[in-house]
Amino acid sequence: MFECVRDNDDLPGAELSGDDADGYVRAAMRWHFDPETGSPFWLAQAASLGFDPREAVRSVEDLRLFPTVVDQLRNVRPEHLIPRGYGDAADIVGVYDSGGTTGPPKRVVFLDDWLQRMITHMLEPLDRLGIPLGLNWLGILPTGPHAVGHFIGLAARARRGLMYTVDMDPRWVRKLIASGQTAQADAYVEHLVEQSSHILLSQEVGVLMTTPPMLERLARRDDLLAAITRNVRLVMWGGAHMDADTHDLFRNEVFPGIPLHGVYGSTMIMGGASQRLGDTEYPIFDGFGPHITFRVVDPVSLEPVPYGTRGQVVTNHVSRSMLLPNNLDRDTAIRVPALPGQPGDSLGDLAPVQVFGSETVIEGVY
Amino acid sequence: MLAVDALGPVGPYRSRKQLTVTDVTGVPVASVSLMPRLYVTRTMSALHRASELPLAQRLRALATAGSLFAKDSDDYVDLVARVSGLPLDDIRFATNAISEACCTAFEAAQQGRPRGASTVEDDRVAEGAVWTRRGHVFAVHAAGNHPAVHSLWLQALALGYRVAVRPSRREPFTPHRLIAALRAAGFPDDHVILLPCEHDVADEILRCADLGMAYGGDEVIAKYAGNPRVLPQGPGRSKILVTAGDWAPFLDTIVSSIAHHGGVGCINATGILVEGDPAPLAAALAARLSALPDAVLPRYPLAAAVALRDHLAQRAAGAQPFLGADQLIHDLGDGSAVLRPALHLLPSAASPQLGAELPFPCAWIAPWTRADGIAPLRNTLVLTAITDDHPLIASLLSEPTIANLYLGNRPTHYFHPHLPHDSYLTDFLMRTKALA
Repeated sequence: MFECVRDNDDLPGAELSGDDADGYVRAAMRWHFDPETGSPFWLAQAASLGFDPREAVRSVEDLRLFPTVVDQLRNVRPEHLIPRGYGDAADIVGVYDSGGTTGPPKRVVFLDDWLQRMITHMLEPLDRLGIPLGLNWLGILPTGPHAVGHFIGLAARARRGLMYTVDMDPRWVRKLIASGQTAQADAYVEHLVEQSSHILLSQEVGVLMTTPPMLERLARRDDLLAAITRNVRLVMWGGAHMDADTHDLFRNEVFPGIPLHGVYGSTMIMGGASQRLGDTEYPIFDGFGPHITFRVVDPVSLEPVPYGTRGQVVTNHVSRSMLLPNNLDRDTAIRVPALPGQPGDSLGDLAPVQVFGSETVIEGVY
Repeated sequence: MLAVDALGPVGPYRSRKQLTVTDVTGVPVASVSLMPRLYVTRTMSALHRASELPLAQRLRALATAGSLFAKDSDDYVDLVARVSGLPLDDIRFATNAISEACCTAFEAAQQGRPRGASTVEDDRVAEGAVWTRRGHVFAVHAAGNHPAVHSLWLQALALGYRVAVRPSRREPFTPHRLIAALRAAGFPDDHVILLPCEHDVADEILRCADLGMAYGGDEVIAKYAGNPRVLPQGPGRSKILVTAGDWAPFLDTIVSSIAHHGGVGCINATGILVEGDPAPLAAALAARLSALPDAVLPRYPLAAAVALRDHLAQRAAGAQPFLGADQLIHDLGDGSAVLRPALHLLPSAASPQLGAELPFPCAWIAPWTRADGIAPLRNTLVLTAITDDHPLIASLLSEPTIANLYLGNRPTHYFHPHLPHDSYLTDFLMRTKALA
């Protein structure tokens, strides 16, 4: 029967959520595949799975038993994604799209219990980096239909800072580039730089968050670089890849002395994975077990590649609000051992695959 | 393995991203650092911040660099020959040509100065025209077909430009050695730069430069056609015209035009137009070309050779092979192959293959009549005209799309530092400013 859940979320029977990832997964299977608590979407899937996840899926590792369902998120009604177990109490934050880099966008619904957990997790490294509360934030990021531009405001609020935003439409940039209108794409990016410059030059911005290509564009301008160097205490990046050489240059030459912290965000993990702190050879992103876990696999056999080798990224999201297991992502990464206690793999030197299915991946400003 | 680092504004820079360069047999010989766009952007900014060296220092440094480039060059020559597949003698020639170009770069550039203009260094001018640069930073997307292409941009450096060179992925050694020599000779690190990078980053170099030069095929010409800041260097489609008469005394010149430098240059003859029956000349050329030893012909990795052969076979449809695709490849069994010369007889001067320029001795011979006129001779980098017909010579000279006209026993690859290559480079680099 439906059980009331404690304030701090979590799944019935998963009190050990922090330490026992496999136990958490078993509790999640009970939740998502019980006709009383599961979502209409997953309950409909259950019939065609050929196994009962409540019996067969006993661990994080077993999540690979699931077929890839994320393509169905291009058409599914988001109401059908909400587990029935929430009853009328589901606190819906919003409906957001994936980037749409690989075809029509995939759509998910965010519930507040998960969002609060995600934001707390994302902000945890800031304390370890010694970033004080009360700094003002500038996010040059996409808002609707994307999630990140909305959530960064919640992050700033949690850190007790003012939030400045400049909206970015990455899909438009990709469209311009794909149709050869590079001058138009450039003009659009220049428009973003100009809007950002008004804020950077007139206000005190302590945390800057945007994409690597935007960081490059801001750094082209000496006046903006000076303003950033003077005020900014943390540069957060996400939304596009940053190769190891560019990472080196940002850390050592462009923003020396300013921590550079990446977030590997993806709608298919319902949030982001944080960059490992410290002096790593290339950016490494750690999962957030048991909710966000990764595997790095051979794209054909789907078996793990050896540590230190590049493979394709498989993502899992498991929470009370959502289940998105065994998603073969468009990205590749070097397989890096996870931190102690963290299930799955960590991701090193993320990079896009050049071709995925029938669509060519186009990397633009985002 | 040899490491080819970027030569940046504060010294060499080694990236994590590396490109392996192999010799023609597939053996890895070097690992090249590929720069990310951010590095390129910042490097180009450094070039803009640097100010030019005084002329006397530039000339001294260029002369010294010329000696350094040529000195102890045996290993370099050997390496470039292995990687480029060009004959050793050709690399030695190029080494000397580049070395000399260092010494003559300023003088060569001055050939293009208008008679009415003084140099900026000439401070006696109170009122008149002064020859000045159109920018401060010059970028080169270099070619890898032949090391001698690096002779040309030295003129920009001599004129006080700061220069950034993106080497070809195939042969980065020549610009690396040359830029290292220029720096050792006195050019500061933020004056002349080597920026190896991927294709998608390469455009950033041109974007950040005041002016640039890009080598490539028709797609490069088309890409920069609307960009007045970029001077594209496309296919040469060099030709030879032989009007009625005895061609026998010119056979050496024609063979050499086709096959010298391994036939890889834009200054090698691609089209041969003959007044009267072209078959006897074709037969004579075929005999001479087929007798050339492998040692003077270009080598390619076998897969590249096969691709070139297949392309030639497809292009040659409708042509009569004297030396056809079937005999093109001499497989050396070590992963590489020599490309033997190709020669095809075309049905008419209007056949489209007349401009099919390929990177080995590859010529197309066609009949030409007075009725064909100038049309088949258009769009030619070098035309060697073997004729006594002075009205014809006059019309060739006035034809705008023929860049260079050589008369008689001058092979198409004839070169002298004081002669323009494709007009004077300074037509693009310089302007004339009034001073009063």
